[in-house]
Amino acid sequence: MASNEDDKTTEADEALKGEAKAAPADASDADHDEDAEVETSGGSADHDDAGDDAGDDEGGDESADDDHGGHDDDDHGASAQGELYGVLAEFDTPGGLVKAARKVKDAGYTEFDCYSPFPVHGIDDAMGIKRTVLPIVVFCGGFAGTVGGAFLQWWMNAYNWPWNVSGKPAWSIPANVPIAFETTILAAVLTTFFGMWIFNKLPQVWHPLFRLDRFTKVTDDGFMLGIEARDRRFDLDRTTELLKKAGATEVEPAFLDPDPAAKVMPRWLWGVIIATTVMALIPFALIFKARASKSSQPHWHIFGDMDFQPRAKSDSAFDEFPDGRANRGEIAGTVATCSSGSSLPCDDDRYVKSDTAFYQGIEAGQWITGLPRQIDVSEALVARGKQRFEIYCTPCHGYDGQGAGIVSERVKKLGGAWPARNLVDAKAGVVTMPNGQLFNTISNGFNTMQGYASQIPVDDRWAIVMYVRALERSQNATLDDVPADRRGELR
Amino acid sequence: MSATHTLHPDEKVKAGKIGGQMAKIGIPLGLVLIVVAYLLGPKDNGARIFQYGYLTAWLFVWSIAVGCLFFVLIHHLSRARWSTVVRRIAENVALTFPLLGLLGLGFILPMLAGNHNLFYWDYFKAQPHEWQHLDHHMVGKGGWLDPNVFAIRYVIYMLIYSGLAWWFAKQSRAQDESGDAKLSERMRIAAGPGTLVFALTTVFAGFDLGMSLSPKWYSTIYSVNIYGGAMIGAYAFLAILTRSIQKTGRLTHSVTTEHYHDLGKLLFGFIFFWAYTAFSQFMLIWYANIPEEIVFYKYRMFTDWTNWSIAVLLGQWLIPYVLLMSRWTKRVLPVFMILAVWCLVFHWVDLYWNVMPNATWGVTHGRVTGPLSGPLETHHVQAVWQSIVIWLGMTAVFVGFVGTRMKGNLVPVKDPMLGPSLGFENY
Repeated sequence: MASNEDDKTTEADEALKGEAKAAPADASDADHDEDAEVETSGGSADHDDAGDDAGDDEGGDESADDDHGGHDDDDHGASAQGELYGVLAEFDTPGGLVKAARKVKDAGYTEFDCYSPFPVHGIDDAMGIKRTVLPIVVFCGGFAGTVGGAFLQWWMNAYNWPWNVSGKPAWSIPANVPIAFETTILAAVLTTFFGMWIFNKLPQVWHPLFRLDRFTKVTDDGFMLGIEARDRRFDLDRTTELLKKAGATEVEPAFLDPDPAAKVMPRWLWGVIIATTVMALIPFALIFKARASKSSQPHWHIFGDMDFQPRAKSDSAFDEFPDGRANRGEIAGTVATCSSGSSLPCDDDRYVKSDTAFYQGIEAGQWITGLPRQIDVSEALVARGKQRFEIYCTPCHGYDGQGAGIVSERVKKLGGAWPARNLVDAKAGVVTMPNGQLFNTISNGFNTMQGYASQIPVDDRWAIVMYVRALERSQNATLDDVPADRRGELR
Repeated sequence: MSATHTLHPDEKVKAGKIGGQMAKIGIPLGLVLIVVAYLLGPKDNGARIFQYGYLTAWLFVWSIAVGCLFFVLIHHLSRARWSTVVRRIAENVALTFPLLGLLGLGFILPMLAGNHNLFYWDYFKAQPHEWQHLDHHMVGKGGWLDPNVFAIRYVIYMLIYSGLAWWFAKQSRAQDESGDAKLSERMRIAAGPGTLVFALTTVFAGFDLGMSLSPKWYSTIYSVNIYGGAMIGAYAFLAILTRSIQKTGRLTHSVTTEHYHDLGKLLFGFIFFWAYTAFSQFMLIWYANIPEEIVFYKYRMFTDWTNWSIAVLLGQWLIPYVLLMSRWTKRVLPVFMILAVWCLVFHWVDLYWNVMPNATWGVTHGRVTGPLSGPLETHHVQAVWQSIVIWLGMTAVFVGFVGTRMKGNLVPVKDPMLGPSLGFENY
């Protein structure tokens, strides 16, 4: 429960002295001889929140310790008692606890709390607790998670290390929604969890009520209400009576630990916290080590079946099939949904591909040197070809077509040699290649280059052919290629 | 505290005349609106736009009944307490299934009678044999997507829904007389298998009545998304209906802010459930970008339908989601009622957006072109006003149908859980 303000420190010292004496005697339930003394003490003692102060008070007040010595034979056993913390009352049922909480609240107490093994409906209202602001904090945390998750992805994928994956945009909202969703939940959950602990001022492993054996029942079948001695209205006898009237089966006073060292986190808990923190950092340490050092060892394969999949690549040998090839041909009996041989209406040849000039770059057994009839040369088509070229071809052939793409440059940097064909050098052969053959190379590959028929539609392959032709022309241009009226612009 | 309360002595729990009044006004008014929409609307392609609007409106009322039936099932299944006071109203809504089945004949009978303008697969089946053979994809589905088989399935769905609704309502009403706690237990036991049957029926009904409009396209989460929308519609409708009943002086003590708050919480939850499933469907299809799947979004995002897509995103998810997040918007009833109406409207917008873009198909250049194909610029939003009038009419008819079921007590007066429900509080 929220602590009350230190608004009644004035009588603290005298009250402390009186109560420290009174408390152990009362705790033994022996008699009420000292009632008068307790009452005259003003019924209120304020224990400062800070552990140091409490410790100082104890240390400076020898009489308290003496008292303990005198009462060691009581039921409370050998353990030394500090000053009075408050009283703890036990109730039979959660309903009884709620009723009692309401009575205690109505009696004007503010410094009390209820303890039960499970959430008890209505207890907040009965105790007069305001609604928590935690939901608002959680909303802010969740929203920060959304923004943070989105920013993280934007920064990594679109700003810090943009990477061209088949021409897909580096930043696209739908693709980033799942991560932003997860970070929202993560941030909201963490805010809820830690916010709950912080708002409740937990953990308090040194809480005085833990010193009572009875209090262990609170995690099992005990419904308890504790009133703190620092409450303005607290008076050991009257408060006890109030609780008994409210239906408490047992009322027991609770005392602070006289040892100030008890009001710190136990050492083992620190050990656990430090150990788990260090363990959580191990993966990061390994990542940093890997980034900063070189190794001749192969990669770790955490997901072996993903890295080495039981599948055959195209054009590879595969013994399971009778013909020893991994490739499977067309399935017998397959019928195209639209065929030019049919008498039925059909306005395209997409399925049967009978137009070999368009689909293969071959006419009458020869590579075509012109263009298929479906292709009209236009600036838009060449522009399309440029765009497709820069997605599919530049990694190896480079933007200028001279064969210096990032893949071959990378191989060179590593000390190897894997040059891509120079597409624009007149001596390298591509310039004199018929259009049909160039189209065929794009479709089906050449040497180590794989075919792109499955990735690039037919129209786009022809557009790339057009763009390669444009590249060749520009890279081998002479002064005659520049319009006469603009030659002056050249130096 | 879960204090057990009893019905307030002055509480009016009898439905009395309101059911009759709802039926007397709603059904004729609604039918007139539907007829007017037909007479004034476009008639080309066998009045296809009317048929699509009719189907959209029917799916709207069907989904509310589906949601209310689920409300009853989950109440028993989870042994709920809080919802006891509104359960009878949900039972009454679910009891309209036989009448909704009759209303659905409005699009089943024309199909059986030879009007092939609602479902493309129906049209396709009616084409000459040689034409059919050009499309193996469609021929393969021909056994399932057949008008007669479809009509039989429709009847089965409606029988299952009606049967579930009737059985639970019967037990519940019997308990009004006897107060027998064993009836509660019996309903609880039946709710488990009942929910399974309900789920399977809804999945197939969603596939048949919604997804088969573009028979080449498929999404396994489609019906889950439809169900999510149905729950949005049901909670919003239940809240509005209950509030309306309270305005007549009935149930004024029994249904409290606490119950509306819980309806609002579930409405809020299902708004996100709907958005989650809708985005799951979108995300996978968008990312894979496979021709036969992407058409669903291609023809909704890059045509006349662009603004509708944005409206669904904002109106069915973002705006109500943000507004219903706070506690007070669910507890200040005038505000909550406005939000409930908003959710109902956008539930229809969502269904319209699901159904209507499939209406553009036919024969072009001598070839059959199915839904979600052809040039983007040929896809238009057509005669929205007509669909809106049909929707309003259908809703009026539906309210009338609910009225015919509103007899006897409006709360299960002897349900053992009534006490906790009356005393229910949110903490």
